[in-house]
Amino acid sequence: MFGTQSKRDLALELQAQFPILRPSIHARRANLTVKFQDLYGFTVEGNVDDVNVLNEVREKVRQQGRVWWALEASKGANWYLQPQFSSLSEGIALKSSLKFSALANAITLKKLIRKGIPPVLRPKVWFSLSGAAKKKSTVPESYYNDLTKAVEGKVTPATRQIDHDLPRTFPGHPWLDTPEGHAALRRVLVGYSFRDSDVGYCQGLNYVAALLLLVMKTEEDAFWMLAVLLENVLVSDCYTNNLSGCHVEQRVFKDLLAKKCPRNQNTGLQLIWKRWSLMSPLLLLSGSCVFFLKACLQRQLCGCGMSFSMRGQRFFFMQLWLYLR
Amino acid sequence: MSYAYLFKYIIIGDTGVGKSCLLLQFTDKRFQPVHDLTIGVEFGARMITIENKPIKLQIWDTAGQESFRSITRSYYRGAAGALLVYDITRRETFNHLASWLEDARQHANANMTVMLIGNKCDLSHRRAVSTEEGEQFAKEHGLIFMEASAKTAQNVEEAFISTAEKIYKKIQDGVIDISNESYGIKIGHETHTTSSGGRDGTSSQAGSCCS
Repeated sequence: MFGTQSKRDLALELQAQFPILRPSIHARRANLTVKFQDLYGFTVEGNVDDVNVLNEVREKVRQQGRVWWALEASKGANWYLQPQFSSLSEGIALKSSLKFSALANAITLKKLIRKGIPPVLRPKVWFSLSGAAKKKSTVPESYYNDLTKAVEGKVTPATRQIDHDLPRTFPGHPWLDTPEGHAALRRVLVGYSFRDSDVGYCQGLNYVAALLLLVMKTEEDAFWMLAVLLENVLVSDCYTNNLSGCHVEQRVFKDLLAKKCPRNQNTGLQLIWKRWSLMSPLLLLSGSCVFFLKACLQRQLCGCGMSFSMRGQRFFFMQLWLYLR
Repeated sequence: MSYAYLFKYIIIGDTGVGKSCLLLQFTDKRFQPVHDLTIGVEFGARMITIENKPIKLQIWDTAGQESFRSITRSYYRGAAGALLVYDITRRETFNHLASWLEDARQHANANMTVMLIGNKCDLSHRRAVSTEEGEQFAKEHGLIFMEASAKTAQNVEEAFISTAEKIYKKIQDGVIDISNESYGIKIGHETHTTSSGGRDGTSSQAGSCCS
């Protein structure tokens, strides 16, 4: 993985250097748009200044990644899972100190996550903190393989729709838009459509699953992330046949908005209402999760995706509020 | 840009029939063989001219999958025109037209102009619905009908514009009360100075004075 990434980074740096080398006035520079691929293979367009900022961010992210790898190397792979035994080894004292250290760890963890999870650690951190790991551990090891095997060759309205939508999921992406990528995405989506036949397949899930595949690296982990998102994190029925969950969300947010900023108070708030009325269905739909994951990954706001999967709705509403402002 | 009227359109029809591609062809004059899937609703706009009047079309492009109908329904209200699209190579998309139309009749204003479009007519070798059937359906339900291709751009422009012409005619005939916003028409400030030779100034001023 590292090999390909560094190659990609190199290409990016070369691309980015090209316009920088040209002596041009600031205004012209800002108008020059450059196309490049981000961390997850999406083509992004930006002007030179954007690229420079992104490069800085990327360099920081890389440094951060190195620090993490070094830490892992020095402490062993799953160091954070082992409780930290201090010199106190008596029964009650140990118990309370464990509790205390768990609390302290949780606070530290929250702080760390807010600062952003380094991309290399995202698969691991998302998987364990979202509850996907726990969900997976409640079923036999072979669950995913058995599921994909059992549903192979079955045709339902959901699978037909999935087949129709595979090429329409991020067309042009270097991995997703290949037979290999289509096959992986198909297995995840079809598998899930059988796991929860109430949801089956709803358009939009394809984007979520595709992004999860890109982040999680393995298909099985992506499947469990999808499961935990739909079953635990999001409002239930978000993606069932009439999207009732989405309608609920929309109403709840509207009520919250009414409470926080009563209409006709001042022009600024009116503007927010105007934006809301225009965009409400747009946002909440592509919203619930797709919109976020996409924006989060592409802008490399590392913490975003994680906070979302940890705290679900509350976080979603908070972000939506920020967005409207 | 200033306009005399703004018409709100909605594009409906089964998933994958080419709704977004029709819109892209109309607004950007280009075709994307594999278009991203539409989630919820998307949006496009373009200026056209009818009888020397600049008219802005504001077009809402909806998601076709059944589950999304509960959301698209809220977009019928306040639409002046609807493009109901099916795919001539997929019979089932034609069979579902009646249920789309029922939705439209239930949730839209009674004066909404509906245009039926048989899309992908460049793929005539894979045709599963004949032109006559399309015509027949349109006649039975009082729709305007056209076969079009978002790929070759055939009839795309015509479809959007002839719908606008029909709406415009309804305004002229007084069928539509333009002061009522639920009809999907807004009157703009026509500030630009077209020394139009075709018509005398009376009608073009009508738009600006009553707004």
